[in-house]
Amino acid sequence: MNRSWYAPRRLLTYLLVAGIAVTALFPLAWMAISGFKSQTEVLRTPFQFFPDVWQLDNYRLILADPAFVRAMVITFAGAVIFTVASLAVNSMAAYAFARLEFAGKQLWWLVCITPMFVPAMAILLTSFVVVSKLGMLDTLAVLIIPGVAASAQMFFLRQFYLNMPAAVEEAALIDGATRWQIFLQIFVPQSLGPFVVVGIASFLGYWNSYVWPVLVVSNPDLTQIMQYLATFRSARGNEWGMLMAGSTLAALPTILLVLIFQRYIVNGVRLAGIK
Amino acid sequence: MLDTSTQPTGPVTQVTGPNGPSRRRRRRDAKVAGQVPRHLRAHLTAYLMITPMVVLLGIFVIWPLVYAFYLSFFEMSFYKDAEFVGFDFYKFVLTDPEFYESLLVGLKLALMVVPTVLVLALLLASFLATLSKRVAAFMKTTVYVPAVVSSVVAAIIFVFIYQDEGFANWFIGLFGHGPVAWLNTATTALPAVAIPAIWLGFGVSTLIMLAGILDIPDSYFESAKLDGANFWQRTRYITIPSLRNVILFLLVSGLTLTIQEFQLPLVMTNGGPVNATNTPNLYIFNSFRDATPYATSYSLTAALLLFLVIGTISIVIFRVVSSEKSSDA
Repeated sequence: MNRSWYAPRRLLTYLLVAGIAVTALFPLAWMAISGFKSQTEVLRTPFQFFPDVWQLDNYRLILADPAFVRAMVITFAGAVIFTVASLAVNSMAAYAFARLEFAGKQLWWLVCITPMFVPAMAILLTSFVVVSKLGMLDTLAVLIIPGVAASAQMFFLRQFYLNMPAAVEEAALIDGATRWQIFLQIFVPQSLGPFVVVGIASFLGYWNSYVWPVLVVSNPDLTQIMQYLATFRSARGNEWGMLMAGSTLAALPTILLVLIFQRYIVNGVRLAGIK
Repeated sequence: MLDTSTQPTGPVTQVTGPNGPSRRRRRRDAKVAGQVPRHLRAHLTAYLMITPMVVLLGIFVIWPLVYAFYLSFFEMSFYKDAEFVGFDFYKFVLTDPEFYESLLVGLKLALMVVPTVLVLALLLASFLATLSKRVAAFMKTTVYVPAVVSSVVAAIIFVFIYQDEGFANWFIGLFGHGPVAWLNTATTALPAVAIPAIWLGFGVSTLIMLAGILDIPDSYFESAKLDGANFWQRTRYITIPSLRNVILFLLVSGLTLTIQEFQLPLVMTNGGPVNATNTPNLYIFNSFRDATPYATSYSLTAALLLFLVIGTISIVIFRVVSSEKSSDA
């Protein structure tokens, strides 16, 4: 390999990297930029990428709407509670199925894993009937509780626990530790990687959900952020600048989450063991 | 804990032998109350650990599923009690042209989205595998970011892009093409919905393929290079055969997921124009919201039929993938 061949190839690689990154992120960039355009500029002929005047009005206006801020805050709070509850419920079951022997294990395993194959649409209507019979409509609980137990996440965590070495656990048992102590003091602290992966999945699932909130919540105090955006679009669909600003702010927490935890997510694909 | 120790539960008696329970109970009664034998305590711990999961799934998934099957055999009405109609609704669904029409839409959407995602992911992953560690890390994050955007936000962004004076029309204008009413034309509406679906889906597929490619021994590629194989030949004869199972998994899971897509068309077109984007689940979802009880029973049955097909396919993939892994090891 000589240098004259090597240098242009490297340049080509970097051009390709830049091209792919720009294309992949274009829709998001376009959304954020459009948020800085005034109503007269946001859809104009001739077409223009960047605004003549960068203005913050759209972002300021949407943040001044108490309904938007409330939706962001209540959805964020719900997502955090949902994520913590999911991790607790799913990791406990995952530990039991991976590490403990108990009567009827096969049967309970079937009960816990079958829901993975049930599409949401098949049970959407009857789930609605169940939560309304339970008197849960229009509460924060109805947004959180029905989705907390997630078979796929339990399965993922169980795979991880199956691969943990048995030696430490046996030593702890000999020392008289209970299974709860082993789970909480040995397994949980070692689960940071998988917890981040399934925790992000839970957070995203809650933050991005739209159909379930539309069905079960009509109280404006509980309006979820995606519900807010979809309603804004049908009611004030021509105010594109504000809609883009709102969408940008609504997408921001999920994108930040990815940037903060990028290391874990990329490894998570390997952890999942799909190969 | 005290209560359970004095009343052995069903599963506990199952594990003990025919004479076991009584002897054990005698022995325990003789002891100071409150001490649970160690082996039973292990069972108890396990049950306590799975209880929240089992209870929640039971109430919010399994019971609704059983209930849905039950209801699908009844005709509901505002005016009289529900009437048992057997398989009537199944017959209605299976002979309803609109249901098949929506299936066809779902299938067309899947055929637009899934092959595109697979080819894109294969090319991107092959490229990412050649990059240095730092650049690769940047690219992995970059391709993953779109995957975390919600369907609602993606739908809004693309509706904006498809506006008359929007980006899409400017872009085709560069090639001398006149503006298109993307979402209001029957022939362009479905491809216009497919594009955000591809954008949302390609990142995860790329990362999964990349993980697969990194598992292929370097020596394969190196000896192929020594033999003078170019990129396409290496892809054709090494990468694709080695990734057979990954590709199969992505193909089948992609097809089942895309056929079920309905949030994008719900926000972007609500099924129009003239049902061109009315995917099966959107059709079902809109019948749910239709206030007549008849439509409710109908759509419930349609959802169950769809579930039977898709659920079966998913179980088959799951089997294939997990058996592959065990034979791999």
